[in-house]
Amino acid sequence: MKPSISAAVANLAGLLRDDIAPNLTGFRAGNAGMAAAMFDIVAEEWDRAAARLVSENAAFRALLLRGGVAGDLGDDSDLRVSALEACNDRLRGMLIDLHAAVELRGDAELDAAIWDALRASVEGRRIASANF
Amino acid sequence: MKPITDESLADYLKQRMPDWRNIAVRDLHRLPMGASRETFRFDLAYDDAAGNHADKVILRRDPPASNVDSDRQHEYNAYKAVYGHGIPVPRMLLLEEDPTHFDGAISLAEDLRGYHNSEYQIQGPEWRDRLPCLAKGMWTAMGKLAALPTETLDLAFMKSSTPETAAMQELDHWEATLDKADIGPEPISRAAIRWMRRNPPPPAQKLAMVHGDFRAGNFLYDDSGELIAVLDWEMAHLGDPLEDLAWSMSRVLSFGKDERRSGVALREDVLRIWQAASGLEIDPVALHWWELAMCIKGQAIWNAGADAWRKSDEPQVIHAYAAWWLRNAQDRAILELMGKL
Repeated sequence: MKPSISAAVANLAGLLRDDIAPNLTGFRAGNAGMAAAMFDIVAEEWDRAAARLVSENAAFRALLLRGGVAGDLGDDSDLRVSALEACNDRLRGMLIDLHAAVELRGDAELDAAIWDALRASVEGRRIASANF
Repeated sequence: MKPITDESLADYLKQRMPDWRNIAVRDLHRLPMGASRETFRFDLAYDDAAGNHADKVILRRDPPASNVDSDRQHEYNAYKAVYGHGIPVPRMLLLEEDPTHFDGAISLAEDLRGYHNSEYQIQGPEWRDRLPCLAKGMWTAMGKLAALPTETLDLAFMKSSTPETAAMQELDHWEATLDKADIGPEPISRAAIRWMRRNPPPPAQKLAMVHGDFRAGNFLYDDSGELIAVLDWEMAHLGDPLEDLAWSMSRVLSFGKDERRSGVALREDVLRIWQAASGLEIDPVALHWWELAMCIKGQAIWNAGADAWRKSDEPQVIHAYAAWWLRNAQDRAILELMGKL
């Protein structure tokens, strides 16, 4: 789409925050401010979401295979964000079980690799407005 | 939700307060406060045997879906319990638990107008020289609350606890909240919970009334930075006083996006002020456990907000926004505390 979605949504965020919200009061002003902040997050996330999810899913699958997890790990042939997110949720659920098992069996290397992947996921999901 | 209007509230008060005459409700409007309850402000005038009254009043209403499992009765009783014990709070006026009047229970309280409560305003450079005053007021009030002997307060409405059970009670509660508000797997929170169960903290030094959400944004302050009143007691409970301290230092609630906790003071200043006011020791091992526990609490609340948003007939912007804004930062805070960042 042209203009690009990220640029257009960022522009909408600015309009809402700087032009519309100041003309509102109380609860409506609060909602408009939060809506503007959400548009900013959409603008940030739109462009990177699919690439980030594909990268996370590949990392999680590799850890699950390394941990000997059997079962359907899915694939990312459907590149719609909703499909990638559904796969990501399934893999994260499996990773929780693997991580707990790895802690019990004292596999320090795989434990460290899981933490590395989780850290990479968190850093990839950071948004500019976050407090931390 | 049924709209609350000047007229509907006045009609209700005429029934509820038969000794009041000439009741008038004016300028009722909703305030942009809080994610868990609806907050309104209005002017109230009435006559009774004592004469004419003109009051400024806050009305809070329980919504059908919330990110926090609490109710009007609990918060009303918490305010009443702490009122007059050295922690400044507004005076409670009325509790209506029957939800049929306004589609949810309501409470009325004294409205302390003319003050600030914004956690964002104080991040501006014009407030920088007043932050030490704000810090002293905030963590002194928190320390005084920690020091209050619970046996001097009417806390019979609260779930019982002991110094030995307080920590796991909280962890159990917030883990159950995460389970209930299942908006997606949380591998970082789950790993932290497993670590906390393997490494429980020592028993609490004492049992205290814990505010439960003591942070910038939940107290009133004046133009000079003096603390006027502590608000939002809906999550108050019996517990370890380190809990409030840990919550107030949460990374995700550090609104200046820097090392100032709650956007107000550096960690070492927070600990110094709290310790002086409470007279309690700060065991670093116990405090670390509680800081992690507060991350789980935060993640559970943000997830519960997202869950309420997707299930509600009237989704609230703040529930979706908080989840988008805070969930990943909360994970990052856990990584830092676990030494994995």
